Amino acid sequence: MTVSTIDNRDDLLSYLNAAMALEHATIPPYLTAYYSIRSSTNSDAAHIIRVTAVEEMLHLTLVANVLNAIGGRADLTRPGFVPSYPAYLPDGEDDFTVDLRPFSPEAVETFCKIERPGRAPSVDERLVKTSEDRTLLASPTAEEMRFYSIGEFYEEIIEGLEKVAADDPTLFCGDPARQVGPEYFYSGGGAMIVVCDLKSAQQALRFIAGQGEGLDSGIYDADGELAHYYRFRQLQLGRYYQVGDHPGAPSGPPLSISWDDVYKVKLSVRLADYPPGSELARVARDFNADYGAFLALLTQAFDGQPGLLQEAVCDMFRLRDGFNRLVCNPLPGSDGLHAAPTFEIPAAAGAGPQASADAGGTARTVTR
Amino acid sequence: MYAKFPQGAANRTDPGTAAEVVYDAVIVGGGVSGALVALRLSNAGKRVLLLEAGPAEDLTLRGYESYLDRFYSAISKDNQAPYPVVANAPMPRGTEVRRITPGAPDASSYIVQSGPLTTDTTYTRVLGGTTMHWEGKTLRMLPEDFRMHTLYGQGTDWPLTYEDLAPYYNEAEREIGVSADVEDQAYLGITFDEDYVFPMKGLPLSYLDRTVAKDLDGMPVELDGEQRKLRVRPFPQGRNGIPNPAYDGGRGFVPQGAVSAYQVEVGERCQGNNNCVPICPVQAKYNAGKTLAVALQSGRVDLVAQAVAHKVHVDEHTRRVTEIEYRRYNRPDSPGFTTMRARGRLFVLAANAVENPRLMLASGLRGSSGLMGRNFMDHAYLLAWGLLPEVAGTFRGTNCTGGITDLRGGSFRRRQAAFTVDIHNDGWGWARGAPMTDLIGLVDSGGRYGESLRQGLVDRVSRQLQLAFMVEVPADPSNRITVSPDLTDPLGNMRPVLTYDIPEYTMRGVAYARQLSKRIFARLGAEDHTAYNPNFWGYAVHDGVGYELRGGNHLAGTHVMGTAPSTSVVNADQRCWDHDNLYLVGGGSMPTVGTSNVTLTLAALCLRSARAMLAQLDSESAPINISGEAAR
Repeated sequence: MTVSTIDNRDDLLSYLNAAMALEHATIPPYLTAYYSIRSSTNSDAAHIIRVTAVEEMLHLTLVANVLNAIGGRADLTRPGFVPSYPAYLPDGEDDFTVDLRPFSPEAVETFCKIERPGRAPSVDERLVKTSEDRTLLASPTAEEMRFYSIGEFYEEIIEGLEKVAADDPTLFCGDPARQVGPEYFYSGGGAMIVVCDLKSAQQALRFIAGQGEGLDSGIYDADGELAHYYRFRQLQLGRYYQVGDHPGAPSGPPLSISWDDVYKVKLSVRLADYPPGSELARVARDFNADYGAFLALLTQAFDGQPGLLQEAVCDMFRLRDGFNRLVCNPLPGSDGLHAAPTFEIPAAAGAGPQASADAGGTARTVTR
Repeated sequence: MYAKFPQGAANRTDPGTAAEVVYDAVIVGGGVSGALVALRLSNAGKRVLLLEAGPAEDLTLRGYESYLDRFYSAISKDNQAPYPVVANAPMPRGTEVRRITPGAPDASSYIVQSGPLTTDTTYTRVLGGTTMHWEGKTLRMLPEDFRMHTLYGQGTDWPLTYEDLAPYYNEAEREIGVSADVEDQAYLGITFDEDYVFPMKGLPLSYLDRTVAKDLDGMPVELDGEQRKLRVRPFPQGRNGIPNPAYDGGRGFVPQGAVSAYQVEVGERCQGNNNCVPICPVQAKYNAGKTLAVALQSGRVDLVAQAVAHKVHVDEHTRRVTEIEYRRYNRPDSPGFTTMRARGRLFVLAANAVENPRLMLASGLRGSSGLMGRNFMDHAYLLAWGLLPEVAGTFRGTNCTGGITDLRGGSFRRRQAAFTVDIHNDGWGWARGAPMTDLIGLVDSGGRYGESLRQGLVDRVSRQLQLAFMVEVPADPSNRITVSPDLTDPLGNMRPVLTYDIPEYTMRGVAYARQLSKRIFARLGAEDHTAYNPNFWGYAVHDGVGYELRGGNHLAGTHVMGTAPSTSVVNADQRCWDHDNLYLVGGGSMPTVGTSNVTLTLAALCLRSARAMLAQLDSESAPINISGEAAR
């Protein structure tokens, strides 16, 4: 057995806060690709990306449930929670950066990498040394170390939970009223799991890893849902999978892709790319402010007021409108490339309702 | 959870091969009635052939989105706008309706209207039928609606009571996936089983509903000496909401999302888009495709599309149906067809209350009661529209979330028709084409553009209030569907001819509704903008006052059910009195329509009839094992 990097509740809280940042970090890239698709085109691709993004939102919430179950507090407004793109999201073999890109073969390639089944060659190799500091899979407790894959990252947390729970029978002390229940998640695969003990915590975290990468290299999970990695592989292979297919040869109906029916938005665009004082710059800043306010609302929802997730639905429609306003406009001075949200969240936007000590501990870990 | 449509199911049945099979049941029509019957029979191990008049490819999300694209790009956003026009399986369309000159029937569109009143009532001839465009209201009928003759001396009583149908209402609410709360829906005698909850929690009232309710709730109304207080009440809806964990004894409910041949996750919750009619953008609204997909998964349902039933053949001696002759067209737009036959032990006509009697009459089967095609019913809609004194968020929410149901029942029904009142979240859309007409007005006569146009539009539409009074139309034998060999469609099928007028009983309800709308607007401080145009195609005069009346697409009555062959076409099981192995199912069997949109009730009737069909199949042993495979 390798040396664990998790020794106590505080370590777990650090890890879970890092996990929330990790789950969230995949969402802006998926949304950018999704909204770059021109309306009523690329139905197959749009649905695959949409459902993956929705399921990342499920993962974010599941982690929040685990965090709350052991008495932690979430803070999605803390500096660094939203990474600066391009960001590293390393896997075991070669690091790659995650950009905010339009729907394109490169984007699909990146999505496949994010969701690629990854099991370290041996338990001892779960943690590898970081070469860069802009990393999302960093160990919050072991300096300069990062994980081989998302699956390994969660495996570490699960083992840590088991270990700490064995020593501390009061680990799962969270108020059940803080849990987000199944009524809030829909139109994605899987379901919300209310976490109240070690078993449900393991179930929630295993589900996250399984939905992304597939369980034990199977393409479908226990509910018959296709893992994210294979959903994206369909876009590369040109056909839908059906039950019984081998990973390399989907045999379902063909899907059609039109790479040109896409707004070519500028790669990982920054506010600095916008003409100062322009209306477009204002809309881009407004989007970031709205996004910051949205994260503040989510923080409240994950901090004891789950009912607020109903209101968050309206905010998500507002963010959609913001996306659509930006992507249809060419960005002046960028060779015809289009505008897109920059996800540079202003510090003041919707200042967090609380600055939890737990969250403070992880701020340094998800650094750029 | 999505509804998996088995890949290739729409094309795998060769009509020639199917003609050699004696199915347990042949069903005509792939709408909600046919889908529910196919589901129940196939679940019980029976082999079913389903004939669908419209074209059908595999139901896929992408295919559904092609309906959406057609809708988005259509200039007219009427309830048929998303669906392909197929000459060989034509369908009525509201935009084609014109005023009838007395004595001169209008044969310009598919339903020949011989008047005196014309109607824009429609149905959709695609796989999934009219549930593709329905709004999704799923009101149960009142117990008194089943006993109108006994209680109020109007029309006839049903051969069933509310209590008889209640268990099947429960089943229908599961199949359709109804969102509602029992505490809102138990009124005027409607009862539920102890501990019953709807599959999903009620959908919230819109901001407009709540704005209206603020001033309307508690409004006193005296009718026939009876005092009552009006209130805005949420409607039960066939669209997905939050599953109720208490459903099914605590087992909960999993909403059925979109239908597709490949895995998709969409449609598990209503998003409040404002175009339920003519098509829900995300399939959160129930459509019969969701049921069909499940039925097809059994592997025991064969589907032949582009198959328009032409004639029901009956054995001279036994009077049993021997086969249904249908015309299968190869291309939607060319006249060529092949004559095919479908054989089975039972035959189920599930086309709708216009197409069922049309086919029977075209087959020369008028029924011993002479009632085939008679007693055509629909709801008569009276609209009233006004401007609220404050911005009320009109155009937010689904088409309709709440309304007034307090005048659905009571002793006043001896004299005048009852009604349900819808508050329309799409403003004056139905009455006057909002928001397009407002837009055109602001641009053409206001010269507005940009920010000012946007603001002008918001100012104008967000105060709009439209009340839609859905007024009961009683059975009247002279309102009827007939056919004529001189009037045929491109495949040579006889077209339906509709003779229709609004009875005085309904007109008294209409006149009362208009008066009530004035009182409601006054109470709300709303400016009444209602004005009925004498040139409107559905203009009807009562006591010297004219009204615009519209159809509700709630077709009923044309093969009415009853207790005796002399006074009805089918029995309480929807089995034809004249033909032992023939069922005519759907709204046509309903003796009254009451003040409920008909889909939930006809779904309940079909689920009930499916039991009778299974009992009949089991009791009548197969005479000869012809194909081995079919007769099991």
